[in-house]
Amino acid sequence: MKKRYLVFENGEVIEGEAFGADVARAGELVFNTGMTGYQESITDQSYNGEILMFTYPLIGNYGINFDDDESVAPTTAGVVAHEVARTASNWRNQMSLDEFLKQHHIPGIKGIDTRALTKKIRTQGAPKAALVDEVTQAPALITSLEQSSKQLVKASSTHNAYPNPNTGKRIVVVDFGLKHSILRELAERNCNVTVLPSDATAQQVLNCKPDGVLLSNGPGDPKNVPAALDMIRTIQQEVPLFGICLGHQLFALANGCDTFKMKFGHRGFNHPVKEIVTNRIDFTSQNHGYAVDAQSVAKTELFITHEEINDNTVEGLRHKKYPAFSVQFHPDAAPGPHDASHLFDDFLEIIDSQQRQKELEQNV
Amino acid sequence: MAHEVVDGSSMQRALTRITYEIIEQNKGVDDLVFVGIKTRGVYIAKRLAKRLKQLEQIDIPVGELDITLYRDDRHVADYHEEPEVKGVDIKVDINDKHVILVDDVLFTGRTVRAALDALMDAGRPKKISLAVLVDRGHRELPIRPDFVGKNIPTALDEQVHVAVEEFDSHEDITIEKIK
Repeated sequence: MKKRYLVFENGEVIEGEAFGADVARAGELVFNTGMTGYQESITDQSYNGEILMFTYPLIGNYGINFDDDESVAPTTAGVVAHEVARTASNWRNQMSLDEFLKQHHIPGIKGIDTRALTKKIRTQGAPKAALVDEVTQAPALITSLEQSSKQLVKASSTHNAYPNPNTGKRIVVVDFGLKHSILRELAERNCNVTVLPSDATAQQVLNCKPDGVLLSNGPGDPKNVPAALDMIRTIQQEVPLFGICLGHQLFALANGCDTFKMKFGHRGFNHPVKEIVTNRIDFTSQNHGYAVDAQSVAKTELFITHEEINDNTVEGLRHKKYPAFSVQFHPDAAPGPHDASHLFDDFLEIIDSQQRQKELEQNV
Repeated sequence: MAHEVVDGSSMQRALTRITYEIIEQNKGVDDLVFVGIKTRGVYIAKRLAKRLKQLEQIDIPVGELDITLYRDDRHVADYHEEPEVKGVDIKVDINDKHVILVDDVLFTGRTVRAALDALMDAGRPKKISLAVLVDRGHRELPIRPDFVGKNIPTALDEQVHVAVEEFDSHEDITIEKIK
């Protein structure tokens, strides 16, 4: 049994047992309340640079399979668990969580009272922390975080454009650190997808002659991706636009709203979201540490379509003039409930409707 | 045998999308008036008004037109009789308003033509738009909808039926072949 330490920026140290890779890493310590889905969460690029703590007391119990990854090279900084199952048991199990983390160079710590720690984060906010084998390594790692946090999106995004061909509508996905489940949902609907890197210009997007553009999820502060705002302002006037998570925040910023860092974010799979026009509640999968400031929306050409019912966070926006909308939560689920997957259908219907309108205008 | 082509929740979402499109295409919602064509068009119009109220906190008036398509109220093309306007209950002044005419199914366009006549008799709207939940094609008049929930291609010997919770106590869109 090897010891490992969770060291906070204020110098506090919690001792635990090491698992996963033997590397020292720092990141913002965030908690996820999901009871399952640790594989999808660990491989979600939105956790880039974050140390992911599971409030559910036992993880690793169903192992890892080769089908559920949400990215090729996970960038989660570390994993904090109460207990990691010694033996994984599931018909889909192909690898243990410990092996998986070793393979991807992600350190883990177990034997931590993750619920007590979560309560603390809920009152004090998400702290910076480091996972280290020697306590003395921690301060340097934590101070270097500031630098790397500006580059998170670039590190998570693809560097080259690539196609995911199919026979349906042409969709351009701008990759800010996308989850594979977004591509899966589009593939299920036969979309002919081209994925472009996060620094794609409006012209590069339009050169693909898209029927619609999707702005993906991604890690960190939306204000670190200023180059995307111009692109969004141009694109939204040309083709239907759908933003998810970071894509939602960028859509908001591009239209003059403000975003802020939440105290401890929404990370889990049971967040109730209300669609304002119908009062319909969807239970949604969420992973965001920043949010759009509701007050700032009023002065813009956007309006709020969805809100979280526990703390009234803005969860969905739509443009008053253009067929452009966005949601803060993950309609692609993975992991989590599929209540909101219909938003992908809505996106395609908006495209149809828009093309119909354009045809009518041309015939007048 | 009638078979379901659109379920209740997809119907709801189509109405939500139409609501957003109405906002998108009108600079404001101040001058709007909904006029629903009986029976189900009225319920659909009320739902659109309710959605807009949830968003904009504004009451948009909903008027009613009773246009009977041949005694049995079936959407069957018939070349010998024109739909008749049975009753106009618009309640509100439509002069200088943007009227959005709402029906469940758009087929030959003859019902809409009758509705347009009735509206013109009732005042002078600034503009009339047409919102339908289903466009099933086979137009016989130069009429086109501005807002469409679902485009459902059909054959002439088929009947499209929209069921709404308020009237039919269930909700879906079905197609049935007429013998």
